[in-house]
Amino acid sequence: MAQSMVKEFTKGLWAELPPFRLVLGLCPVLAVTKSVENGIGMGVATTFVLVCSNLLVSLLRNIIPVKVRIACFIVIIATFVTVVELVMQAYTYPLFLKLGIFIPLIVVNCIVLGRAEAFAFKNSPTLSIADGLGMGIGFTLSLGALGAIRECLGNGTILGNTVFGPGFQPFTFMVEAPGAFVCLGLMLCLMNLIGKK
Amino acid sequence: MGDYFVLAISCIFVNNILLAQFLGNCPFLGTSKKMETATGMAMAVIFVLVLAGIITWITDTYLLKPLNIEFLRTLSFILVIASLVQFVEMFLKKSIPALYAGLGIFLPLITTNCAVMGVCLININEEYTFMQSLVSSFSYAVGFGLALILFAGIRERIIIARVPKPLQDTSIGLVTAGMIAICFFAFKGMV
Amino acid sequence: MTEAILFMLGIGGVCGILLSFASKIFYVYEDPRVSLVESNMAGANCGGCGYAGCSAAAQAVVKGEALPSICIVSGAEGAAKVAAVMGMDPGTAESRQAYNMCDGGVRAANKYHYLGVTSCGAISLVFGGQRDCHVGCLGLGDCVKSCNFGALTMGKQGFPVVDENKCVGCGACNKACPKDIIEVKSMSDKLLKFNQINDPLAPCSQTCPAEIDIPQYISHIKNGDYLPAVQTIRMRNPLLLSCGRVCPHPCESDCRRGIADEPVSINQLKRFAADYEMNSGSRVPIKCAPDTGKKVAIIGGGPAGLSCAYFLRRVGHHPAVFEAMPELGGMLRYGIPEYRLPKKVLDWEIEGITKLGIETHTNVKFGTDFGLGSLVAAGYDAVFIGIGAWKDHALGVPGEEIKGCLNGIKFLSTVSALVSSGISKGDTSIREKMKLGKRAAVVGGGNTAVDCARTMLRLGLEKVYMVYRRTRKEMPANEVEIVASEHEGIEFVFLAAPSRVVGNENGEVTHLEYLRMELGEPDASGRRRPVPVKGSETLLAVDTIVTAIGQAPDASFKEETSRRISELTLTRWSTIDNNAATLQSSIPYIFTAGDAATGPALVVDAIGGGRRAARSIDLFLKGEKVEPVKDSLQKKRIPESVFKTISGVQPIKRAEMPELPVNRRLDSFVEVDLVLPEVEALAEANRCLRCCRICYNPDKTSV
Repeated sequence: MAQSMVKEFTKGLWAELPPFRLVLGLCPVLAVTKSVENGIGMGVATTFVLVCSNLLVSLLRNIIPVKVRIACFIVIIATFVTVVELVMQAYTYPLFLKLGIFIPLIVVNCIVLGRAEAFAFKNSPTLSIADGLGMGIGFTLSLGALGAIRECLGNGTILGNTVFGPGFQPFTFMVEAPGAFVCLGLMLCLMNLIGKK
Repeated sequence: MGDYFVLAISCIFVNNILLAQFLGNCPFLGTSKKMETATGMAMAVIFVLVLAGIITWITDTYLLKPLNIEFLRTLSFILVIASLVQFVEMFLKKSIPALYAGLGIFLPLITTNCAVMGVCLININEEYTFMQSLVSSFSYAVGFGLALILFAGIRERIIIARVPKPLQDTSIGLVTAGMIAICFFAFKGMV
Repeated sequence: MTEAILFMLGIGGVCGILLSFASKIFYVYEDPRVSLVESNMAGANCGGCGYAGCSAAAQAVVKGEALPSICIVSGAEGAAKVAAVMGMDPGTAESRQAYNMCDGGVRAANKYHYLGVTSCGAISLVFGGQRDCHVGCLGLGDCVKSCNFGALTMGKQGFPVVDENKCVGCGACNKACPKDIIEVKSMSDKLLKFNQINDPLAPCSQTCPAEIDIPQYISHIKNGDYLPAVQTIRMRNPLLLSCGRVCPHPCESDCRRGIADEPVSINQLKRFAADYEMNSGSRVPIKCAPDTGKKVAIIGGGPAGLSCAYFLRRVGHHPAVFEAMPELGGMLRYGIPEYRLPKKVLDWEIEGITKLGIETHTNVKFGTDFGLGSLVAAGYDAVFIGIGAWKDHALGVPGEEIKGCLNGIKFLSTVSALVSSGISKGDTSIREKMKLGKRAAVVGGGNTAVDCARTMLRLGLEKVYMVYRRTRKEMPANEVEIVASEHEGIEFVFLAAPSRVVGNENGEVTHLEYLRMELGEPDASGRRRPVPVKGSETLLAVDTIVTAIGQAPDASFKEETSRRISELTLTRWSTIDNNAATLQSSIPYIFTAGDAATGPALVVDAIGGGRRAARSIDLFLKGEKVEPVKDSLQKKRIPESVFKTISGVQPIKRAEMPELPVNRRLDSFVEVDLVLPEVEALAEANRCLRCCRICYNPDKTSV
């Protein structure tokens, strides 16, 4: 049991790491990774939704009729997204403002729905939590890494601390929209280079 | 009238939904491998986005706001959009099979497309009037279609180009999208 | 709070009710498998598969356009479930590989480049440039660029070469090619491919009834790759040793080289490659597609039946051959004498075919030992009838029943059964056993007649006449055969129509009486019709008469009084009635080809027919509509490939077929025609112009 939990947990960290291995849920990846902070904030929010929805879907998997399962998943996910929205509004208001509409848009993130369908609907609650946690942490780390690169090159800082000397000319291209695409593309290329046999 | 024009231009080019707002990227990469698919998808998005814009604006203005339960916006919007898309799909299949053949297969993809949901949320956040949200929904959708079709045209050529192995497929697709985004970036000074 | 809960319930209820009504009102029938497949996909509608959403992907799977493993979210488990819904085993589906249809050729070095664009797509859009061929490969390598697996390279001769070990059958090259030259095909697709109008085909390949890719195997021989040449021939013709010996090679009469000097000795080269394999002592391995579990009964183990069984087996079905004679081979064994096709060679060839896993039953005659009913009861899914044409036409003159009158096919098959490995001069046992005399007359002018006459000489008869009602020019037998029989001393009596057989008081033949003829107006076949000269009765002193004036299928199986077989219609020549393009008979699960369907024809016609029937049977077994080949080239030529003149060819004489000297031939049944030596075969292969492969004309300057 413990072994399989570890397996389900770790696959999200490397073997099926979203968004690189499964090219899903790209919109928040591109939009919110202007800084490490935003990236991690978004990642944590998604992780919370992912774990909770996985758990609930898994618990209800014998009750939900197969025909309307997608609709049920959406409602479950939307409920947790609303919870996250309200919590963030209350405690981390500046971050909430920065992430803007991407918090409610976790509802339509393919990763969350995809895990509910592909994993939680078929597996026990404990395994589903492990899966959700693994995928969520993998997602958070990816966002953090992408955020770090973009913030570092585009702003010369990491988590607000200056990394380069005063002579550094920021690479503003990186924090703008085109930089997001190019940076993600090159990271994907890097992953392909080291990840594939 | 002029305001609507400015709004439309800003939605199509300056704030292009795909390349500046980062919404709807999954289908952007998924359905852009062939020109045919891309055109179909673009048309379907225009069709659904306008309908969804109308219905969510009505839901928000006449149900959520008077009842003071705006916090249920996410939940109710996704439900309304999903039902609408399902309904439209069934309606088209039965009543206008020709249109269904062209757009039908793209409709389910749109349910979980963040572009649709995102535009509806933007309309509400910006506190647009009914006409404004209609224009913005339509223009955002046109912007989506424009970017998608441009991208598909380039991608069809990339298929026969020599691309280093690790960069192939999605990777080169993203870099290309970055290049198109730079072009759209130039519109920033327009409005 | 209550408001919120009520609101959610309300909006949920309204949406639910609305949708459930809508689903009833707007109900449209859909293949139930689509929703089953879709329910096994992730439902995330992510578009990662390249299709617009899960239902689009499910439709593509059901239509067979996408593989069960298409969904990137649901993983291997989902793929297995989808495959189960579709009734496919995800592991054993036949793999598909890229296949270049236009492969090879003389390429001008200076290809036409439009403003430096080196892309097939661009060239095919702008204009052909210096390109002469309108169907073939452009050679600029868009496909090579498109391959993600490095399986395609631009070969030495300027056409793409597929590395079968690297190709995964993704189809990217097919999409990149603007000319549809490179296609992704399974081995079965390649085996059951027929010539179509848009294919790049040389005149010889267009003419060959078996549709062999002749230029390709000749170019293999030219490069010294004899075994690949054998494999190329085997893609179309499993009986290459036999065909290499007995085929009258219609391909050579259309050879473009023949316009300049003499046609290439195509059949000699086929025999050279085939003999090379046999003499090498081992067989080239033959691959078969994964088993389909379908059983097909093949009635008749002749060239048509063997060809049909071979192709069905290779595409994964299970044929069982039922043969009325003691051994397989049909006319190849019983109609063609030992000195033209040694039994040893035929045995080796047939063994190679049956070894693929084909069940064989000999000494069982259709209609007497088994019937259609028993085949259906035994669970055969389809039946192929290739019983040949074994019933000799009667002469129709008085006295035909007198002892000493024989029938051609009957005579040849009896001799074949008696001769196992040849006899030596002076051995008169067979002649005595068959009660043959010393002087014989063979009536007829076809190959069977010539075979009968030459066989008689080898059995030790003193004098053999051939009696034919027209002249030598009109004889339908192969020219080489006629020449050989002249060399061997057979006497021809032309313009003679038998009118009466004269016997003595013991009931033995003493004379054949014939009327002399003269040629009149041409008839429907274009040959001048012979007209008898009144009062010209002449007597020819012979004691044996063999009639070989044509054959028809033995339709005695129709006498079986079953309802099933009575639905099978025959033509008035007692051949089995079929659709000429699909070879399907009046009973949908019965297919037929070879002499049984066409009346007496060439071996190579039967082989081509067997393959064509295999294609139809394959479609029938898959539950698809049995349709003719689209834009078929059957018995047609691609007009632009038919040349009137040809320039720039240095005349070189074609290789002469080596023969056994006449004085050594008649002693025995030893094989007369010999195989080309390697040096000559290579020289002959070099004479091939590789037609339909000259894609760019270097001399053309205008665009």
